[in-house]
Amino acid sequence: MLDLTQGQFVKHVVMHPFEGFEDLRWKKAGSIKIALGIVCLLFIQALAYNRMYGFQYYTDYDKLFNIIPYIFQSFGLFLLYVVCNWAMCTLFDGEGSMKNIFIVTAYSLIPYICGYLIGTVLSHVLIRDEYIFIQAFEVIGTAWTVVLFISAMKAVHQFSFGKTLALIALTLVAMIAVIFLLVLLLTLFQQVLIFIFTLYTEISYRLRV
Amino acid sequence: MSGKGHVLKRLFCTASAAAVMISACAVNAATASAAESYDPYSYDQWGDAVSSQAGYTASEFIDGQKIKGLYEHVEAMNGFDYDEEEWKNLLNMKEPADMFISGDDLLYIADKANNRILVTDLEFNLVNYLDTFYYNGKTLKLKNPEGVFVDKYTGYIYICDSEGGGELNDEGEIVNNAIGRVIKCDTRGTVDRLFEKPVTELYDQNLTYNPRKVAVDKAGNVYIVVRSVTKGAVMFDIAGEFIGFYGANRVEATSEIIMNAFWNAISTEAQRQRMTKTTPVGFTNFDLDDDGFIYTVTESSDVKTDVVKKLNPRGSNILSSALGDDTFFGDIPPAYYSIYTKTSALTDIDIGPNGEMNILDFAHGRVFQYDKMANLMFVLGGDGDQLGTFRSVSAIESYDNKIFVLDSRKNGITVFERTAFGEIVTEATNLYNAGYYEESFQPWQTVIKFDGNYRRAYVGVGNALLSAEQYKEAMEYFKISQSRRRYNKAFEGYRDQILQKWFTPAIILIIVIVVATKVIGSLNKKGIITFPWQRKGGV
Repeated sequence: MLDLTQGQFVKHVVMHPFEGFEDLRWKKAGSIKIALGIVCLLFIQALAYNRMYGFQYYTDYDKLFNIIPYIFQSFGLFLLYVVCNWAMCTLFDGEGSMKNIFIVTAYSLIPYICGYLIGTVLSHVLIRDEYIFIQAFEVIGTAWTVVLFISAMKAVHQFSFGKTLALIALTLVAMIAVIFLLVLLLTLFQQVLIFIFTLYTEISYRLRV
Repeated sequence: MSGKGHVLKRLFCTASAAAVMISACAVNAATASAAESYDPYSYDQWGDAVSSQAGYTASEFIDGQKIKGLYEHVEAMNGFDYDEEEWKNLLNMKEPADMFISGDDLLYIADKANNRILVTDLEFNLVNYLDTFYYNGKTLKLKNPEGVFVDKYTGYIYICDSEGGGELNDEGEIVNNAIGRVIKCDTRGTVDRLFEKPVTELYDQNLTYNPRKVAVDKAGNVYIVVRSVTKGAVMFDIAGEFIGFYGANRVEATSEIIMNAFWNAISTEAQRQRMTKTTPVGFTNFDLDDDGFIYTVTESSDVKTDVVKKLNPRGSNILSSALGDDTFFGDIPPAYYSIYTKTSALTDIDIGPNGEMNILDFAHGRVFQYDKMANLMFVLGGDGDQLGTFRSVSAIESYDNKIFVLDSRKNGITVFERTAFGEIVTEATNLYNAGYYEESFQPWQTVIKFDGNYRRAYVGVGNALLSAEQYKEAMEYFKISQSRRRYNKAFEGYRDQILQKWFTPAIILIIVIVVATKVIGSLNKKGIITFPWQRKGGV
């Protein structure tokens, strides 16, 4: 039973929030290519939500455009989560490998991405009074993703429900710690660079005199 | 100030001034507005400054020497032995503090440091010179008059004698008891009534009483802005009785205030006594419009609420109830073309003939002209010494298509005249605000030709198109003007049009497709038709 192709498995997982990820694990299915594709879609969704929303809704300052925040919002945060979750699960005796975590996390994001993409499309058809419909899609998508996400974490690590929640919370803490360290590192590098540059200027002035 | 000689002279002056003005206009028309000594700008929807066309151009600067008849009048004054220095001062204005254009088109200038009121006509011929007042057989003098107002219904002049000039004794010396007062007098200086510090429990007797500005409404109530009073304007009725305070500002809800409210709720009475009290910032200046509404401005640069108010007779702000609390007046920091970030300090307001608000910003030396719906029309002026820029502005008045700005350090009045661009914008704005959207279409189009950055023009054209039910075009203009609320309205109309046009064909098409698939499917099942992909090789 359950002889599904990789594509069919995606549908199966999304449509069966409670046993889908168990089946995925049991069948050792799940494709890293599809997962990567989903993360790319997440990036497109982030862009579309901020840049291609219906004119009557969005209020972004659109004179400037910088792609870095969008890359960070999608690829950055996703990879950070995967790494941190993997690091944390080793402490909890979780069974998921980095690859598995990557795949199930990506799969669980599908309803969220779809909800917001549908919302973005609808924002070109609906007026402000009808915003509730867009909101419905976005909220349902997000809620569905949350359910899938918890179920995915539970299945991939073979945890109890409480332990899964604890793991997710710890992962978030770890993410914050990593971001903090990264910022610190960047600042320090900046200081070092400035120091080297100052040294260079000083020496070049001396040499000229 | 009478006699045939003067009349002739005045006639001649008027004629020559008119001639000069006509030639100046001709020059202006030729050079357009490139000659401004400051960079005209405006704000886009994001609050970013964008360069703009000048709506007004500075045409002349009037100091004391240019007031025709002042020299002769001062020379002819006798009875006071002025020394050389004082006499020179009298030929000029010195720290003029306020200005008012009366109902009979005379310009009243409160010449503060010279302790007098100068009255000229709008061609700057001296008409009246008020420095001595007669009250119950006493002769009164002014000391630092800071405000002047003329009641257009009764013609009485109200003067804020801020420091209280006192009276002359028998030897001709000034006995000064330094009690501020407002003098109500006629054109000859005969005092009708003095408005002095009200002796009542409502007015804290420890507070000083230095009247800064005065205004009188239709009913004859007198409103006086007093420097140390933050509860609003001190209000007297027509009989000179103190009534109360009018139109106090609200306290801005900063985090500190909210914390105070929290502590107030949980602290005891004794603790509350020792806490600092929060008082609103008193407003600085006001003006009346033609309908008798009072507009106030607040100069303090650290408040954002109630900076500009339009008060109804009850004293509540109807501008904020019409437009919301977040309407911004003055420069949006950081100011454009400036290396300093300063906050506007709005020091005077004047309501123009079409209800436009001219607001004077002391911090930047600029005039901000808003229409009656508080949309920014023009920004003029700036810091500097050239014609059209200022050093320390103190008062603003407008008459027809002119704006007069009084500068207390340049000691004179700068006259601005509306440019061709300004005329079109004003015409379009008036039509638009009166609800004639379609009639305002043409003027707004012209405005766009003059100045592609003028956001309101796109809104105007968009609204004209919207009321003409040309939704698609309206959407484009609203998109340019970043006006999402109106775009939403236009989009709704556009969507309705599309639906009306395509709804029936779309439904028919869908039904046809559904039926066709069903029919073809069943035919396929029965084997009557086969699709190419169902044919096996060789069959």
